[in-house]
Amino acid sequence: MNFSGFRYLVKQGWHSMITNRLMTLASMGVLTACLFITGVAVLLSINVNNFVNYLGTKNEIECFVADEYPEEQLTALGEQLAALENVATCDFVSKAQAIEEMKAQMGTDAGLLDAYAGEGNLENPLPASFRISIEDVSLLDQTVQQIQSVAGGAFYRVESPSEFSDMFIGLKQVVTIVGWGLVAVLGTVSVVVISNTIKLTVFARRKEINIMKFVGATNAFIRLPFFVEGMTVGALSGLVATGIVSGCYYALINGLQSEMEGIASELISYLYPLSEVILPLLIGFVAFGMLIGSTGCATSIRKHLKV
Amino acid sequence: MIRLEGVKKVYEGIGKSPDILALNGVNLHIKKGEFAFVLGHSGAGKSTFLKLILREEVATEGQVIVNGLNLNKMRQRQIPYFRRQLGVVFQDFRLIPTMTAYENVAFAMRVTNIPERQIKRRVPYVLNLVGLGSKAYSLPQELSGGEQQRIALARALVHSPPIIIADEPTGNIDPELSIEIMELLQAINTVGTTVVVVTHERDLAMRFNKRIITIDHGEVVKDTPPKPRRPAGQVQQTAAAASNRRAQESLRRQPAQHRPHTVTAAGREGRQG
Repeated sequence: MNFSGFRYLVKQGWHSMITNRLMTLASMGVLTACLFITGVAVLLSINVNNFVNYLGTKNEIECFVADEYPEEQLTALGEQLAALENVATCDFVSKAQAIEEMKAQMGTDAGLLDAYAGEGNLENPLPASFRISIEDVSLLDQTVQQIQSVAGGAFYRVESPSEFSDMFIGLKQVVTIVGWGLVAVLGTVSVVVISNTIKLTVFARRKEINIMKFVGATNAFIRLPFFVEGMTVGALSGLVATGIVSGCYYALINGLQSEMEGIASELISYLYPLSEVILPLLIGFVAFGMLIGSTGCATSIRKHLKV
Repeated sequence: MIRLEGVKKVYEGIGKSPDILALNGVNLHIKKGEFAFVLGHSGAGKSTFLKLILREEVATEGQVIVNGLNLNKMRQRQIPYFRRQLGVVFQDFRLIPTMTAYENVAFAMRVTNIPERQIKRRVPYVLNLVGLGSKAYSLPQELSGGEQQRIALARALVHSPPIIIADEPTGNIDPELSIEIMELLQAINTVGTTVVVVTHERDLAMRFNKRIITIDHGEVVKDTPPKPRRPAGQVQQTAAAASNRRAQESLRRQPAQHRPHTVTAAGREGRQG
């Protein structure tokens, strides 16, 4: 095929998109809707995952220092603990700080603890402690073991939220499986719905294909305009779907930020910002749209070419 | 040019429905430059005959040879190249509804990769030949049945095929227009193109002094050659004959570069000198 022939066929593809605009709009509508739903599922999945990860960092291992442990070694111990692989932060809480925290919790009755307050107060019954937050909650048990082996006999008790960690691991698995499962199911449904719509478009033009066959057109000659049409419809649908999903996402984040207060607004700050998701969304949608549009056309047309 | 040797075609029944014998032991030879009617009522086997020579179907038994090519042995990818040697006119015109008359005719040239400047020269010429030069940019639905059929004829002619096959070309048009279409086909035949007209209209076939092959129940039951011509002095001068001559003149004047295309058995394109 020479260049002018190729140009003619590409133009034919676009021309037939305009001529069959109703069918083009129907295909675009279905494709856009499917991409939109899949996009929502993807965004939901990645954000819930991110959010669950954030929750994971919100738990702490509390290590209570035995009273007989020499105070001068606490700094070195703190450094050793902070250097452990899965440890995110390691804060030392002295006996005096522990009393202050307890006073803060007691509110108006805080005066009762005044006798124990102050640095070096030997009456203070509360132990000093290390509060350690970890990066990966699924490795909680190993990290606790590491802490105990580093500390030797320094701690008389180590409290770790092992129940929480089990729940967290379960939740994360559920979110991952449900999220991506939803994306896969919606993606498959999209492929089926779109290929049916394309089949309908091609079926409506089967006579045209038949005529082309009888004047001696090769299969490639007949296929190319359909291919161009499918790719263009796919790319346009991808663009439209990106626009709609981005618009909705932006409105949702803005709406939530202005409505929510306190801890909820802190949680919202853990949603992915639009600027981070828009490019992958655009590339994914346009590529998926073009792929499904073109292959859908190419495969639907096959049966009508056997004349 | 078209040769059928002991051709049998059986359509296999779907499910419990029985097999259908559409053609049975057909032997036929239509020579180069001949004009033949294939006559038969509906269900006689005309459509199957047509499907076989267009290589839409393959014979169950026997050989179908068109323009030297054995269609039984033809590979799928060679079919488009083979069909470029034919000009086909259908009863329902089969024009692409979204293309103008010009584009419909040009399409038959475009599939063969003919350069655009040649298309621009040839298409208006052929449209003028069928008397529709002024309707080049009309869409098929804006044209009458007769006009649509003439566009279909122009499309069949435009690449100068050695064979023109017309399937009930007058089935959807008025009787006067039918004569006009048949005269155009006659004129095309006089410049050496083989013409096969498949029809159920006996009267129409009898009106022209041409070979008539009658098919019934899948068999050739009658093959009537044209009557010998009367001496020149006795030829009746009719308006139809005059118009026929005009069309012939026009066809003889067609540009030399539009000689029929040929396709070798390997499916390669060539040009007849």
